[in-house]
Amino acid sequence: MEQMYAYKCKKCGKLHHPRYIVCQNPDCDGREFEEIPLEGKCKLLTWTRVYNLPEGYMQPWLNFGIVEFENGVRATGQIGFDDGIESGMELVSTVGVVRTRRILYKETIDSQEYGFIFQKA
Amino acid sequence: MRQVGIVGVGHTKFGKSTVPFLDMLCEAGLQAMDDAGAKTGRKNVIDQVFVGSMGSGMVSRISGAASAVVDALNIRPAGAETVENGPASGASAVKLGVMAIASGMNDCVLVIGGEGMRAVSGWEGTDFVATMLHPVAEYKYGCTLPSFAGLYTRLCMDKFGVESKDLAIVAVKNHENACHNPVSHIQRKVVLERITNPAYINATNPLVADPLRQFDMCPVSDGAAAVLLVAKDKQEEFGFGDKKFVRIAGIASATDTHVVANREVPTDLLAVRLSAQKAYKMAGMGPDDIDVAELHDAFQILEIEEAEEVGFFPRGEGHLAVRRGETKIGGKIPINTSGGLKAKGHPLGATGVSQIVELVKQLRGEATDRQVEGAKTGLAVNFGGFGNNVVSTILTTK
Repeated sequence: MEQMYAYKCKKCGKLHHPRYIVCQNPDCDGREFEEIPLEGKCKLLTWTRVYNLPEGYMQPWLNFGIVEFENGVRATGQIGFDDGIESGMELVSTVGVVRTRRILYKETIDSQEYGFIFQKA
Repeated sequence: MRQVGIVGVGHTKFGKSTVPFLDMLCEAGLQAMDDAGAKTGRKNVIDQVFVGSMGSGMVSRISGAASAVVDALNIRPAGAETVENGPASGASAVKLGVMAIASGMNDCVLVIGGEGMRAVSGWEGTDFVATMLHPVAEYKYGCTLPSFAGLYTRLCMDKFGVESKDLAIVAVKNHENACHNPVSHIQRKVVLERITNPAYINATNPLVADPLRQFDMCPVSDGAAAVLLVAKDKQEEFGFGDKKFVRIAGIASATDTHVVANREVPTDLLAVRLSAQKAYKMAGMGPDDIDVAELHDAFQILEIEEAEEVGFFPRGEGHLAVRRGETKIGGKIPINTSGGLKAKGHPLGATGVSQIVELVKQLRGEATDRQVEGAKTGLAVNFGGFGNNVVSTILTTK
């Protein structure tokens, strides 16, 4: 199973997601980060259900949300259920395939990308 | 710093183009040159061309578009660069034109913004636009620009009390304005009841990115727009003396986090606020000096929130001003007299230039049935990414 990470600045300790090149603390210039597993409980800040998906998705809709983890890190991801979605609700993060790209060249290759899929806590 | 102004404007009809991408750019550019009286060949005085386009290479399959335009218009050996800054490519190209003239590097600059959006399928177009999102934290999830507009709208609804009907009122206003603009993509009035009545709303105005519906966002359009910039001290010498000089009093850009989730206050459009403040400072003006504004309403929520961030209304009260009709023509501050992105259309790279063309028409008194009486100063806001790169421009005839 793929693991999602927060990135802790080795100089000031600020947590980031996704990975940055330079620490985002305006008073720090750190460039080295420690990987910290980013998982567990989180709070849904806002959500949407999108019916007009880009090339490569065959579902009729997808739900997206922005969450805040207990350590204060925020992340965008897919929401893995349809009923009872409300801003402010508690969720738990899981990791799954969020995009599959089909590459057609001599033989078909499916390239899968992993990311957050938030579920009911 | 030299004074820079606009002496010529051009604008194709937005919608589904019947001509190739390059021809569209040239049509707008030539209109701007003809409007100013600029000549081609040996009599050409244009020494630089900037073309603003997000997808000239990626969608229209034309790299080096500015070089191709210079050749097609016979204005060689003018310098030529293509500028890409997402949906703010057009205003960024204008900004570079202003910088080039103000610095003394150039004297006369043709700026063209253009996009061919409808040459590809809706799925491909949606995917192309989404490539401006963060590749790891956003794009890979299947997020699109409407996705972020939906997430953002819900936050504004929760925090400020914005209602779906407020978005619909903005749409109705902009469609009404577009009926008086011959270059608009959609010249059709919209009835508020028809797009808000719960009894049939899912048929007349279906959900796209909950809580956003079809009428809460712009259509997909092809189009191009152009402006001819000249140094004030060269206007007479170049033969543009009989054109009203619409001065670019202020132009500035500002940026915000690429990852939308990482914004300190998720409802803030910080780059809008900061770019407007910088443009006001450059112009020596403030929000009370603005008579007419073109704001980037790719989604109707953005017109409301941008109007607050540029200082027209207190934060959290933009939707109340919309309900009172203060953003209509004849209201306190008319917004999107052109029809806005909502109804005039949004060919990404063209939009920033198109907004400026509308302000020039307003400040010259040439906006016919959508004219704001006595307009002398205008503000345009061109919004790139989901607000991570914004250009604000102030034009004036004062």
